[in-house]
Amino acid sequence: MSKKTINIPLGSQHISLLEPVRFKFECENETIVGVDSDVGFVHRGVERACTTKFKYDTIGYVVARICGLCAITHSMSYTAGVEKLLEAQITQKAKYLRMLLLELDRIHSHMLCLSHTAESAGFEAMFMRIMGDREDVMQIQELLTGNRIQFDYVSIGGVNRDIDTLRAKEIALQLAKLQKKIYGYIEEFENNWSLSLKFKGVGGLSLEKAYMFNAIGPLARAAGLAIDVRNEIDYLPYKEIGFKMQTGSGGDIHARNTVRLNEILNSIEMCQNILEGLPEGEIFTKVKGKPQGETVVRYEAPRGELMYYIKGNKTAILERVRIKTPTFSCIPAFSDIFLNQSYADAPAILASFDPCLSCTAK
Amino acid sequence: MLHSLFKAFTNLFSKPQTLDYPATPIRKDKEYRGLIEYSETDCIYCLKCEKACPPGAILFTPTDQPSENEKNKKALEYHYNPYLCIYCGECVRACPKPQEALWQSNKKQPIASKQDAVNEQWFVLEAQHKKFYNTH
Repeated sequence: MSKKTINIPLGSQHISLLEPVRFKFECENETIVGVDSDVGFVHRGVERACTTKFKYDTIGYVVARICGLCAITHSMSYTAGVEKLLEAQITQKAKYLRMLLLELDRIHSHMLCLSHTAESAGFEAMFMRIMGDREDVMQIQELLTGNRIQFDYVSIGGVNRDIDTLRAKEIALQLAKLQKKIYGYIEEFENNWSLSLKFKGVGGLSLEKAYMFNAIGPLARAAGLAIDVRNEIDYLPYKEIGFKMQTGSGGDIHARNTVRLNEILNSIEMCQNILEGLPEGEIFTKVKGKPQGETVVRYEAPRGELMYYIKGNKTAILERVRIKTPTFSCIPAFSDIFLNQSYADAPAILASFDPCLSCTAK
Repeated sequence: MLHSLFKAFTNLFSKPQTLDYPATPIRKDKEYRGLIEYSETDCIYCLKCEKACPPGAILFTPTDQPSENEKNKKALEYHYNPYLCIYCGECVRACPKPQEALWQSNKKQPIASKQDAVNEQWFVLEAQHKKFYNTH
């Protein structure tokens, strides 16, 4: 056998990719020995637009359009930053409603990722099943906010819509139904033979490497690294509603799927707690003034830590908006995981990262 | 194995998860966010909706045939672009007379064809608007 290597690209357009990213694999026979990655095929200049075209009170709607899957996380992080600068006091009810939507968003994002990992393992039926059940979550979101994807729910000072008892009841019923389905998935992902062939022991990341490459989100938690922004922030009362850190071991695709499934269960539990113990009060308080100074806001998006840096100079147009997305932070870890794996497994490994390139390139 | 065989067999008789649209209508809640609707007779021409709109889908431009509304002192006319609108509802929240002058319906936007020249007409309005505010 010769030691000659060949280069095989994956992307920027590839049948297994949902979004444009390019990985250049250096392969020795079937094994990947070198990785080079390139993101930024869908750059839209959002950061620039935020500091030139739009006023600070409308940017919440602009940044929500960066990504369809974590729209609420983006607008929430931005709004929290501006509220910090304006020293606004948000009512407890508004905070609870924000958390409700954030967790619903996490549920549907994780379900999408799970369905795609199943699809990339060749299990189309599972993909259909999860996508069909994900529709229930989309309907809950539509009931709550009036729209399926672009919620436009958070505004500076609170939230835009209240929830009535009928809706809350319907949402709770749907969530209870979904919970049963998730237990079914856990059994399937745990015991299905064809899924375990593609997932168990493939694409592993050790705890040391997760530390070294600064991995975040489900990728790090699957390796056993207990890192979650929800555990660290204080502007949303996550501990009151029963947040539990979900960690796995092994860091392979199977561990990542398990962490995601457990997180969905925890999110459903949190949503139920919110609906049960929703405080009374106003959902919106008027905020006055223009942002001045600078601030950093971190929030846990479905894929990991999302960071916003906002700088204002007491005018309606901000001086700087910097967005650091979870997928961007994870790219060094991604590249390392591919090493010494089979090229045939690359699409499945990539799907298990749940990369969001429209966030990354923005 | 037996379990999955049983499941496969029952699946033969179960209904599909998809809706038989348009024979079965899709669910449409009263509160779903759709087109913004406007009542000329109740408007007080404060122009708050125009300022609040993030994409600039509401414009008030000068007109030769103003409405008979006595609040319309500057002789302006309301324009709304449903294709530019993001249905966020900021305008309705900014309106001093919500549900009377401006409200959000649950209707979908109409489909535009090339002959409608939606963009071209809107660009003309935007130019008029810019000119009016530069001179006033």
